[in-house]
Amino acid sequence: MWTRLLRPAPDGDGVPDSVLTLTAIILLLRPLDVWWLAPVVLAAACLSLAVRSLRRRPITWLVVAALVAVRIVVVWPLSDNHVYLLGYWCLAIGLALSSPAPAATLSTSSRWLLGAAFAMAVLWKAVLSPDYVDGRFFRVTLLTDDRFADASLLFGGLSREQMADNRQFLEPLPAGAELLTPPAFVEPPRLRAFAAIATWAGLALEALIALLCLIPAQGRLLVARHVSLLAFCATTYALAPVAGFGWLLAVMGLAQCRVSQRAMRAAYLAVFVLILLYAEIPWTGVLADLTGR
Amino acid sequence: MTADRHSASSVASGWRTILPVALLVAVAAVQVALVNTAGLSPWKGGGFGMFSTTDDAGRRRSRVFVSAAERSEEVAISPSLEDAARRAAVLPTDLALTRLARRVVERETRYHRPVDTVRIETWRIEYAPDTLAATAHRMRNFVYRVDATAPPRP
Repeated sequence: MWTRLLRPAPDGDGVPDSVLTLTAIILLLRPLDVWWLAPVVLAAACLSLAVRSLRRRPITWLVVAALVAVRIVVVWPLSDNHVYLLGYWCLAIGLALSSPAPAATLSTSSRWLLGAAFAMAVLWKAVLSPDYVDGRFFRVTLLTDDRFADASLLFGGLSREQMADNRQFLEPLPAGAELLTPPAFVEPPRLRAFAAIATWAGLALEALIALLCLIPAQGRLLVARHVSLLAFCATTYALAPVAGFGWLLAVMGLAQCRVSQRAMRAAYLAVFVLILLYAEIPWTGVLADLTGR
Repeated sequence: MTADRHSASSVASGWRTILPVALLVAVAAVQVALVNTAGLSPWKGGGFGMFSTTDDAGRRRSRVFVSAAERSEEVAISPSLEDAARRAAVLPTDLALTRLARRVVERETRYHRPVDTVRIETWRIEYAPDTLAATAHRMRNFVYRVDATAPPRP
């Protein structure tokens, strides 16, 4: 058992090397922000990119998973959810590489992790959060979150002055207090529609992915699982400022592709790069400026 | 023999596929419980509640008040207190609030300012369903006495 953790998984096991290298790249792109953990994880990621036998060794990924877990404990409760998913994913890779059937094990782990993560996201949005299904979450977020501001100007039809007034309106007052002359609140129909589409399209797509990952799928359903995950990554991360989550989802989807599914694997690689471009190019800001918003 | 080996291999792979997702589900279940019992922000804690509610870390804050013989005032959250204040706002348990209060006492003592009691309020913003009118709601009002044996001040 222990020697198996130290031995590199053989080449013929079918675990795509791209899954391991892209996971290492994620660790480099979004380093853990604890000074005494980050160098170790960065070093492990660099070495596993450079040395093939190291990245195919289970112990490498189990150590990284343990370091991610330590990070979550150290900064508790402030870690974002994709850090948890990164930890589970590194653990899944380490366990799969030490198993008798690494590719199948990793593929199944990926499917279950995606299914469970999306099911929890749907549970929170549809059941546990009263302000999601009534549209409040996106109506408020599109106006108050700087990271969505350009998209709100571009797609919502707001002017910058209206945005500033709306933000003032959304500043909280003490319970029971009321302003004598409250600031104007302008919510154009386009902005309401944008919020409604974000609310319901996001929920529907997440529910579809959860369902398709949790049920055993063959043939068209299998293709639908990949297509829905690719569509989610390609659309959500154009606006949502959490590239680290998107990259993980793309790599986890890639891990479910068989060697023969070349087009699907290429699509996941393309989506990985697309999310990188979304994260680095402020395209909504550029378009908002070009359209005079 | 081959069948046995195949079966053993399936069992071995089985626990390896179950362990990561079992961890995810267990952590998520704890997160849901903490949100409902301890006021954890749904965005945090590994339950995948991000982008589901306006009750995120950015809409929560801690306010700190100190009092002593001749002072009673709100103190600003200094950079050295920011981390503890954020943690207390996101998950306002007695433990997190006590940690923040102790940091406040340490800081006040460093600057030779007297402090008998630290009171911490944690707040979050809520928005009305239709009008989106925003109101601040107090979640916790926590009092930490520097000398636990001293009688409470009037």
